Amino acid sequence: MLPRYAWRRLYQQRLVLLLTVLAFIWPLLCAGFIYLTNHAELLQGLDRDFREFIQVDGRFFSIFMYVQAGFAVFLAALAGPGLIAPDLANNALPLYFSRPLTRWTYALARLTVLVGMLSIVTWIPGLILFGLQVGLAGGSWFRANWTLGAGMVAGFLMWLLVLSLVAMASSAYVRWRVVAAAVSLAFFFILSGVAEMIDNVLRVRWGHIIDPAWAVNQVWRALLGVAPIEGPGAAASAWALAAIVLLLVVVIERKLRPVEVVS
Amino acid sequence: MNTTPVVELENLKVRLGRREILHGITCRLGVSGTGKAVGLLGPNGSGKSTLILTLLGFLRASAGRARILGFDCAHGMGEARSRIGYMPENDAFIGDMTAVAFVRQMAELSGLPPEAALEKAHQVLFHVGLGEARYRELRTYSLGMKQMAKLAQAIVHGPELVVLDEPTNGLDPAARRRMLKLIAEMKNEQGMNVLVCSHLLRDIEQVCDEAVIMKDGAIVHHCNLEEERRSNRSFVELEVTGDDGGLRAALPEIGAEGVPEGLGRWRIVLPPGVEVDAIWRLAGRQNLLVRKLTHRRDTLEEIFLKAMGHIAHTPGEGAASGVAPNVTAN
Repeated sequence: MLPRYAWRRLYQQRLVLLLTVLAFIWPLLCAGFIYLTNHAELLQGLDRDFREFIQVDGRFFSIFMYVQAGFAVFLAALAGPGLIAPDLANNALPLYFSRPLTRWTYALARLTVLVGMLSIVTWIPGLILFGLQVGLAGGSWFRANWTLGAGMVAGFLMWLLVLSLVAMASSAYVRWRVVAAAVSLAFFFILSGVAEMIDNVLRVRWGHIIDPAWAVNQVWRALLGVAPIEGPGAAASAWALAAIVLLLVVVIERKLRPVEVVS
Repeated sequence: MNTTPVVELENLKVRLGRREILHGITCRLGVSGTGKAVGLLGPNGSGKSTLILTLLGFLRASAGRARILGFDCAHGMGEARSRIGYMPENDAFIGDMTAVAFVRQMAELSGLPPEAALEKAHQVLFHVGLGEARYRELRTYSLGMKQMAKLAQAIVHGPELVVLDEPTNGLDPAARRRMLKLIAEMKNEQGMNVLVCSHLLRDIEQVCDEAVIMKDGAIVHHCNLEEERRSNRSFVELEVTGDDGGLRAALPEIGAEGVPEGLGRWRIVLPPGVEVDAIWRLAGRQNLLVRKLTHRRDTLEEIFLKAMGHIAHTPGEGAASGVAPNVTAN
């Protein structure tokens, strides 16, 4: 029942609702693009090279994912703190945990709702686009490109996990919704900046491994069969993301307690 | 007949960081299903809240064992928690929720189906006096209303045991009376066991049947308030001028006992059936001028002060009060 209350709480925030609606613009444009590429008669007047360039392939899905992932970052920062910060701000956790509810169940319920909400604007429209392409291009296209659909879902889920955990950890630490949202966004910008600094100061390329946005991009590229960016490979990036996830879980575990013990 | 204690502690030790807060407490408090209230008294830092948090499974025992309603507090709390209602001392609510949504959510979390939870939420909010304000967001509530909302969420699922941490904190006299009346109703009419943690002796005296006094992480006194009230022993504070050297020996003539406190002050315990007039007559026979004679009953305050070591032990006690045989503080 916790997710039910959390869903209601989520869409009581108008900005969340607005951003969710805006996040559907790009998938609609992509759907139009897929329709166009599958109707050769509409493209007859265009240059041949251009017609070959606009293909529904790994590159197309990776561009779709970048844009939606950006929306997901802002949505998670806006919606995530609204799920946990109010419970912490007014000390409601002892009320939850004095009932038959463990800390892990509570955290999992919040995580499920966040991932669910972000799914609405990420892999679900992505899968619909994939289905549209399969419907228009036929079974042969599916047999040749099914890994794109699977890779997109897996890649998005990985990103949503990171985003949701960042939002939860920042609200567990800060407790004030607006500041938690800012911290949530700052997490990505600061790590990106630090990664850039490491690369430039030490004249290396592995610094980007600590930038979750960069790391997930590298993993996506591997999943979608797109050429990788210069720097650590997909496996190393996946390990780096796993380490970030672990770190965030530890932060949440330490902060989501019914009582805070000051030793 | 069910004889499961509400709280059972066996050499319970709790450490917070490097400090040991509870020093090996062993006791059995209350009997499950009897609708009695146990009061937990003690000054700040005596370990009351630590004990409550351990009983709720929020803190781990470093040694020993704690059971609540027969369930182990370290491992068996899943089942126990659906039978317990907890009202914390500090603010605990979700500010942007209406009272009815908040209480309903808490009822559902305790295992009530959604429809029943909604119905009970309305009922309990009317019961605690928040019926008219139940659709208001909790952040708009006054301190007293928030206390009542906290009580409502603690009792909405009809728990066997309600743990109340400083329930009258911040309440005005009228609200305090209402809160105490509600607690009394909970145990007398709904048969709930209540564990009240408070530093207000009058509150404990008014609603509790047993009282446990804690000091420095140990239980220093456990008394049955019902028996205390029943024993109805009369205590007299006497202040005289003149040579009171023979008073101690003369008091047994009327069956009384007394201790001098210096400067002509005495604390005297009268046996049942002996009225305060006997003291007047005795003082007259001893040629003493009575400056002050206060006739009052033994109060929890006195028991508390004695347990804290702030006043001398009064002779004659022990019939109804004292460290109970099943309570030890190691």
